[in-house]
Amino acid sequence: MGVIALDRLEVRLGGRTVLSGLTGELRGRAVGLLGPNGAGKSTLINTLLGFHEPSAGTAKVLGMDARTDRMRIRQSVGYMPENDSFIGNMSGVRFVRYMAELSGLPPAAALERAHEALFYVGLGEVRYRKISTYSLGMKQLIKLAQALAHGPKLLILDEPTNGLDPTARQRMVQLIKEIRKEGSMHMLISSHLLRDIDETCDEVLILKKGTIAAISNIEEERRSHRNFIEMEMTGDTEAFAQKMNALGCECARFAGGRVKVVMPDALSQRDLYITAAETGAEIRRIQTRRDSLEDIFLRAMEYEGVMPRDAQQPAFVDGGKG
Amino acid sequence: MSVFQHEYRPYEGPTTPLWKRPVVLARYGLAEAWGSKITIGLAVLALLPCLVELVLMYLADNPLAKMLVVGNSKVLEINERFFFNLLEVQSWFALVLAAWIAPRLVSFDLGDNAMPILLSHPISRFGYVLGKFIALVLSLSYVTWIPLLLLFVYQCYASPVPWAVGHLGVAFGLFTGALVWIVVLSLVCLAVSSWVKWRVVATGAIFAVVFVPAGVGGMVSAILRTRWGFLLNVPVVMSELWMRLLGVPPFGNPMFWFPNIAIVSVLVVTSLLCVAVLNARIRAREVVRG
Repeated sequence: MGVIALDRLEVRLGGRTVLSGLTGELRGRAVGLLGPNGAGKSTLINTLLGFHEPSAGTAKVLGMDARTDRMRIRQSVGYMPENDSFIGNMSGVRFVRYMAELSGLPPAAALERAHEALFYVGLGEVRYRKISTYSLGMKQLIKLAQALAHGPKLLILDEPTNGLDPTARQRMVQLIKEIRKEGSMHMLISSHLLRDIDETCDEVLILKKGTIAAISNIEEERRSHRNFIEMEMTGDTEAFAQKMNALGCECARFAGGRVKVVMPDALSQRDLYITAAETGAEIRRIQTRRDSLEDIFLRAMEYEGVMPRDAQQPAFVDGGKG
Repeated sequence: MSVFQHEYRPYEGPTTPLWKRPVVLARYGLAEAWGSKITIGLAVLALLPCLVELVLMYLADNPLAKMLVVGNSKVLEINERFFFNLLEVQSWFALVLAAWIAPRLVSFDLGDNAMPILLSHPISRFGYVLGKFIALVLSLSYVTWIPLLLLFVYQCYASPVPWAVGHLGVAFGLFTGALVWIVVLSLVCLAVSSWVKWRVVATGAIFAVVFVPAGVGGMVSAILRTRWGFLLNVPVVMSELWMRLLGVPPFGNPMFWFPNIAIVSVLVVTSLLCVAVLNARIRAREVVRG
């Protein structure tokens, strides 16, 4: 069973079609929801939570229909909204307890879980302070704490690093990674920051103008490009490229001595140095590329319609002289 | 998610049934409402008329005390009119208390944009309003039908002549009349509070919603030389209803003696308008048209 299953989902709001013909199934432990502003990320989340009614098609969350099983879905989901959303004159622990009780926890259990959730996200020391006195980072964390307190099966995070300074962002990303590693819940993380999604997710759904531009398994992408290497070289790069091709690599040369290589599993970086020495080339700089998500995203933005899986692979273009 | 290990652990304990979720909202709403010293002050103040009436009832029911204080005068007669007057006084206190409490129940949630988080939990919009409504009705019951029925019970106990059997209709009238008022008042106050996010402004707006139509109705009646404009005066309409429920003989301005259907229609239309406002305002997300 997929975490989220969409079947020709269409959502119309205020006379406009915001989401159109969304079809796909997401099975990842942590699913990233990417797209430029206005692509429909928040609308999709709101539809999954039952805030918006689909005008056509279906959306299923953990096998439950978003149209007919709203209460069951909300029972199983923890939601951290994008914007400020809390009750400012409540203390942190009271707010989280309140939310846990609304999710069905008995009062005593809710209080215990509220304390635990606040310590878990790092707000243990300020849990008796009114939320209105919290900093922006703390407000983000308390939204995460209330989403976690009742032990959901799916955690929906809408722009979790929004407005955070680098330290707070790193802490939030680390928390998300820990939750993912713990493994008892799925996550749907909406963000327009590729780096956040790249660091935390194993599958990504890219939206563009209310349609699905791409669905991609980042883990597979990472595995397929783990030996994608960029280099700056001097000397006889043509001989180097020929030798690497002979060894089973895909190698391309660009202006300025830039060389890109996709290495088969059997070879390692040491072979690059050996080959360079043998062909009289010198490696000045070497970089293992990890930004396959950026490639997929940019291609999805350029592609009209749904991008097929094979088109999601960053194409290896021989743009050089060789 | 243990405190000492700082690790997440899933929750595997029991959960409460869905129907109990509005009760959670009501419980937190009551705590929020009664956490204010002003609420406590208003509630204490609202009980003072009941205390005065209790003393009067004691005097009326104690022949010796009555003789000493008022002689043979009928001033201290405990009847439908006596309870009607008290119901009117308590209802004004209920209005003041509601105008203070209702914005605390709703405006805080709306002011801090808490609706997306609240409604992302397994509670419907109806359940949310119901929870707040229960909290408000319970709070207002404390100053309306509960003390009034207690006074009724005291009168039944203290009266030297058989009194209860002949006045059971008063108890029914007190309970029903107060309940109708606090239900309508709660809906009006919740609707206004959901419309105005600022708590103090919402309190003022609640008074305005009660008194401005009353003034407009008075003007309409004066200009058009009709009595129907007074139907916009909710306190007058409620007084008429209470008189009939308690069996008080008609008195005062005959222009206010409306037919029952007109009174019921005013209350139903007012309630429906409030429900429509709540339906429009209590949402997780607002949809911008265009």
